[in-house]
Amino acid sequence: MAKPKQQRGASEPDRAVAASTAAIRADGLRVTYADGTTAVQNVTLTVPRGEFFGFLGPNGAGKTTAVKVLATLLEPTEGGVIVNSHDATAAQTAVRETIGYMAQDVSVDEELTARENVAFACEAYGVPRGRRAERIEELLDLADLGDVADTPAGRFSGGMKKRLDAVTALVHDPDLVFLDEPTTGMDPKARNRLWDHFRRLNEAGTTIFLTTQYLEEADALCDRVAVLRDGRIAATGSPAELKRRVGGQILEVDVDGGRETAETAADLAREGTRFGPDATIETVDDTVRVTTTDAAERGTDYLLALHEAGIAVTGFDVDEPTLDDVFLAIADGRTDGFDVGDDGETGPGTSGGTR
Amino acid sequence: MSSAGVDAGPSRSVENSLVGDIWVNFKRWARKAIRNPTVVFLELFMAVFSLLMFTAVFGDVGTLAIERAGFEGVGYLPFVLPAAVVQVSMSSSLSSGLGLVEDLQTGMFEKVTVSPMRWTAVLAGKAAAELFRLVCYVFVIFGLGLAMGATVETGLVGLFGIALVCVLFALWYMALSNAVAVVTRDEETLDAVGNLLLFPLLFLSSAFLPVSSLPEAVQVVAMVNPVTYGVDAIRALVLGRDVLTVVEVTAFGGVSDTLVPALAVLCALDVVFGAVSVWLMGRATGSEVM
Repeated sequence: MAKPKQQRGASEPDRAVAASTAAIRADGLRVTYADGTTAVQNVTLTVPRGEFFGFLGPNGAGKTTAVKVLATLLEPTEGGVIVNSHDATAAQTAVRETIGYMAQDVSVDEELTARENVAFACEAYGVPRGRRAERIEELLDLADLGDVADTPAGRFSGGMKKRLDAVTALVHDPDLVFLDEPTTGMDPKARNRLWDHFRRLNEAGTTIFLTTQYLEEADALCDRVAVLRDGRIAATGSPAELKRRVGGQILEVDVDGGRETAETAADLAREGTRFGPDATIETVDDTVRVTTTDAAERGTDYLLALHEAGIAVTGFDVDEPTLDDVFLAIADGRTDGFDVGDDGETGPGTSGGTR
Repeated sequence: MSSAGVDAGPSRSVENSLVGDIWVNFKRWARKAIRNPTVVFLELFMAVFSLLMFTAVFGDVGTLAIERAGFEGVGYLPFVLPAAVVQVSMSSSLSSGLGLVEDLQTGMFEKVTVSPMRWTAVLAGKAAAELFRLVCYVFVIFGLGLAMGATVETGLVGLFGIALVCVLFALWYMALSNAVAVVTRDEETLDAVGNLLLFPLLFLSSAFLPVSSLPEAVQVVAMVNPVTYGVDAIRALVLGRDVLTVVEVTAFGGVSDTLVPALAVLCALDVVFGAVSVWLMGRATGSEVM
């Protein structure tokens, strides 16, 4: 079933249209467990239909709790959730008919064969009887388990179980799939296969809500990510936007003459308004490292200044920060400039306030 | 935020009825039992072993004891057959909780919860598969008993009645087992609780000797022990007479004087333990937040 797909880098008007047909709208979520632990607080977000949305955060940040609320497995202590236009608390069954959910830990019945696991999921989700046999074969092929379809899942490797688990969440061709750390513990080859699968699913129009602690996973797959810290959304935006905001660009200049010359070159970088007051300038052996929002733009003048000062440049490079840098910035509490509203709102087109 | 006024979104026509959901879960748990022949064999073996052991070791002594208690002309084998099926009911009900622990640990519990299946149907399907297995055990054990020379005085109808009593007896113990499972979420703890309960419940009841021939203190425990009511109901159907000694009922006549009060007690236990178990499982499916 082909569904409308929200394009990567969609314009603001496009995003506004998408917001009116959101797959997920969460408003002021708070989850406090019976033991008094508050796992999620003031989480407000909108995920348009067709988006590949990432929920990033370290262990214990509240990702799994939040995704369980969105998937109707937990009722929030405060706040509301609309999933695929249904209230996740008042109309749980209606929500469940339109979502797929893959838990963090592999959930397959190890005593049943791969085919029986998929068949059970088909029956549980009410896939019409006439379509079941075909659907089971399709999904077993998709999981690359066709050759071992009649083997009990207990004999499978971890990667095979993950793939089986993933396809059992898709039997009813859901409009929205929640993937809670789906590739944790997988080897790179198996992980790449699963990534390809998720990409194809999203390209076919399925909205995907992915939680992960792997930054490269979010970078490779997601249209937009939200970073969760201590149960709150600390930052949101596309991976490229977040990387741009965290520290702009990094200019590295290698000079001839060792550490002493590098220090002289660094002093030159610090002169006047060459890189602006927010720039971070440091030396590592014979390299000068300048981190600022527009390092590439101002770098040319700096290289000319070095040439005029008689310092020989043996090499230079301009790097973009990685999501790791975003993560570290958030961990350090340096979240100014990230796309989170005053009320914790994160959604397409949201801008302005920071916290 | 509420669902009122929200645009109609994607929805699916789900084919499942309540019965359909029960059947889906029945098939899953029945398949799992078939894939675990060792468990089936051990549960059955323990009950058959007890039957053979008790009739071989206590046959003569037991016959004298039950004669003195008013069971003239009754052999020890038909007297102790009910104990064997109650024992298998208890061990098979314990497996029900172990299955739930496995589902909780593997994430299948959560997976089933997040599906659109009705929660009551999920529980009913699981219970139906487990009770079906129990009924098969009952017929195997009674088949063996009949082959060894016992008779069921109430005939084939009585045999089906015995299966029904076993189901009613198993339900409360199954509910207890599932309640412990959902609270502890640990296989070893549940196994320990099950073993801790099995022998005291069996021996401090009318399972192996009539209540009147037990020491006075044990008689007090036997009167409030559910095993006594299960065993007496089955024994009444095997022997074709009123055997209930803990409560004197004469209003219904014959076998019914035992069956009516015993089944009333078992049904009450099923309702109470079932309600507690369903409540605990409801909490486990998502309302553990404040």
